[in-house]
Amino acid sequence: MNRADAMVPGTRWQQASLLVFLVVIATVPFWADDYWTRIFTGVAMWSALAMSWNIMGGYAGYISFGQVAFFGIGAYTTALLMQKGPGWSFFATLPVGAVLAGVLAVLIGWPVLRLRGAYFAIATWALAEAFLQIATAAGFTGGSSGLTLPINASTSFFYYSMLIPAVVTFVLCWLLLERSRFGYRIKAVRDHEAAAESIGIDTNRVKIQAFAFSAVIPGVFGGIYAYWITFINPTSVLAGDITDQMVVMALVGGLGRIWGPALGATVLYLVDRQFIASFGETTAYIAVIGGLLALIVLFLPDGLISLFSRGRRMALSRQLLVRLLPDRSGTTGRGGRL
Amino acid sequence: MTLFIQTVVNGLLVGGLFVTISIGFSLAFGVLDVVDFAVGEWVMLGAFAGVASTTWFGIDPIAFLPVVFVFFALLGWLLSPLIYRVRTSHYARPALMALAFTFGIATLARGSMLTAVGFDPRTVDIGVVNGTVTIGSLHIPALRLLGFAFAAVATALFMLFLYRTRTGLAARAVAQDKEYAGLMGVNVKRVSSLVYALYAGLTAMAGVLIGGIYSITAQDGPLYTLLAFFVVVLGGLGSVGGALVAGLLLGLLEALVTVYVSADYTLAVVFGVLFLVLVISPRGLLRRGLA
Repeated sequence: MNRADAMVPGTRWQQASLLVFLVVIATVPFWADDYWTRIFTGVAMWSALAMSWNIMGGYAGYISFGQVAFFGIGAYTTALLMQKGPGWSFFATLPVGAVLAGVLAVLIGWPVLRLRGAYFAIATWALAEAFLQIATAAGFTGGSSGLTLPINASTSFFYYSMLIPAVVTFVLCWLLLERSRFGYRIKAVRDHEAAAESIGIDTNRVKIQAFAFSAVIPGVFGGIYAYWITFINPTSVLAGDITDQMVVMALVGGLGRIWGPALGATVLYLVDRQFIASFGETTAYIAVIGGLLALIVLFLPDGLISLFSRGRRMALSRQLLVRLLPDRSGTTGRGGRL
Repeated sequence: MTLFIQTVVNGLLVGGLFVTISIGFSLAFGVLDVVDFAVGEWVMLGAFAGVASTTWFGIDPIAFLPVVFVFFALLGWLLSPLIYRVRTSHYARPALMALAFTFGIATLARGSMLTAVGFDPRTVDIGVVNGTVTIGSLHIPALRLLGFAFAAVATALFMLFLYRTRTGLAARAVAQDKEYAGLMGVNVKRVSSLVYALYAGLTAMAGVLIGGIYSITAQDGPLYTLLAFFVVVLGGLGSVGGALVAGLLLGLLEALVTVYVSADYTLAVVFGVLFLVLVISPRGLLRRGLA
């Protein structure tokens, strides 16, 4: 076995498909028209955003309903710094947004992550709502009329500006969550926090690190998104629906799996575009997302990705059989962290 | 000075309604072990039921309250077995999945209502009581008084149920320890459904009154979820006395911010206070709740 084999997982067959996949996504602007390139740009962005949510939701076991706050911070940072006055270049603004998002995550996570998961869920949500209010009311953000950015019309520029950070995100997540001690620590916290603590893991620290990591990603993508759509206002970059999308994409794809969010994002983004193409911009989509989320929790808790493994398919059919048998009550217990 | 007293009174009166919502929410949390993200949607749906009562049936919303209660209690009764099933399932992380489930239900409710009625704000037109009651130099809107009276009665009845009936005893037992309650012969599933149904009905009724005092839009659900959660965290999760104090405090805080700062910053201030409380005293102001 040579070194490359050790670094890339899977069989030769899987390695080959991975290579083909990489070539395909790296050449999208060359074989797709502008419409489809834009769609793939969206897929890349949402995959990374859903992955960022998956770090907390899937790997750390804490639900964040305020991920959009970090996205909005990134978007507003880029937008404000690229205005006439400061006049920064686009790429220089991205690290600023990332750092701001990360620092904020540490500040929020420090008091809240010590508590039950529900506190974290609501605190992040309240944070996002508060940001939405502030951005709408404050003067420097342009209020509800928003900010306009310099225009850059190149479709392929944005495709690669989304794709490269998205790929970096996935590689980083894979290395950190699946191939490092940090990954083991965070999963130990998720699976049994008290046990993790007892074997010497500083659980608070690990959780805060994970949260900061998961905040930096939307911080960067918010910035790119702002430049992409050239006009931002509170409802386009701070609305709760953006978090909902991330949550649903990660859950539909598969919680706590590295490819889950990408799969969920691809499927749902295509559905979303199709929905808009057929019915126009409609709030019915929010209802669809909500219903889908509930159904997935009820019937496919491990997400679409679980359909790909034979063992899971078997387990799923077994579960269906068990559901038909009488109710197994009395298994209540008080376990769980929430 | 009059403005200040006026604001305080107005705030405390609305605070009563927050108490009603939060006590049910807190108990549902204890019994089902799930933070119900749909709580604000029950408020919103209740308010729209109030709107429907005048526009569709031509009945005053106050007379319509029992219908609202029965309807939403029934909805809650139907929904709670699903929450219970997710919470007690053999999933890897049932608590997290249950949270996601109620969030999905909340999003479904919000999306459906947005599609049905759009973004326009509506007000529940409560015709029976209008005008103001004047005490000295204070002008108190009659509707707020009615809201407070309703909240006081509903909360008192709920407490009577909890502390003076055998079913209430069972509900408190389940909230403390499901396994032992089950061993003592309590039907955990049925008690959970009952509590959830009561809570949904109560919250929707409070929603009718809130919709009369403030105007409401189909997207306001999350706001009320946040406020209910604020009360419960401030009071300490699972503490009824704490919810009582915190609910009134929230009403006060909201009124003061609206009058002296700006309604635009209500959530920001509320969040700031919530954050501080969590830092200083995670078990609530009275230090009685569960961290």
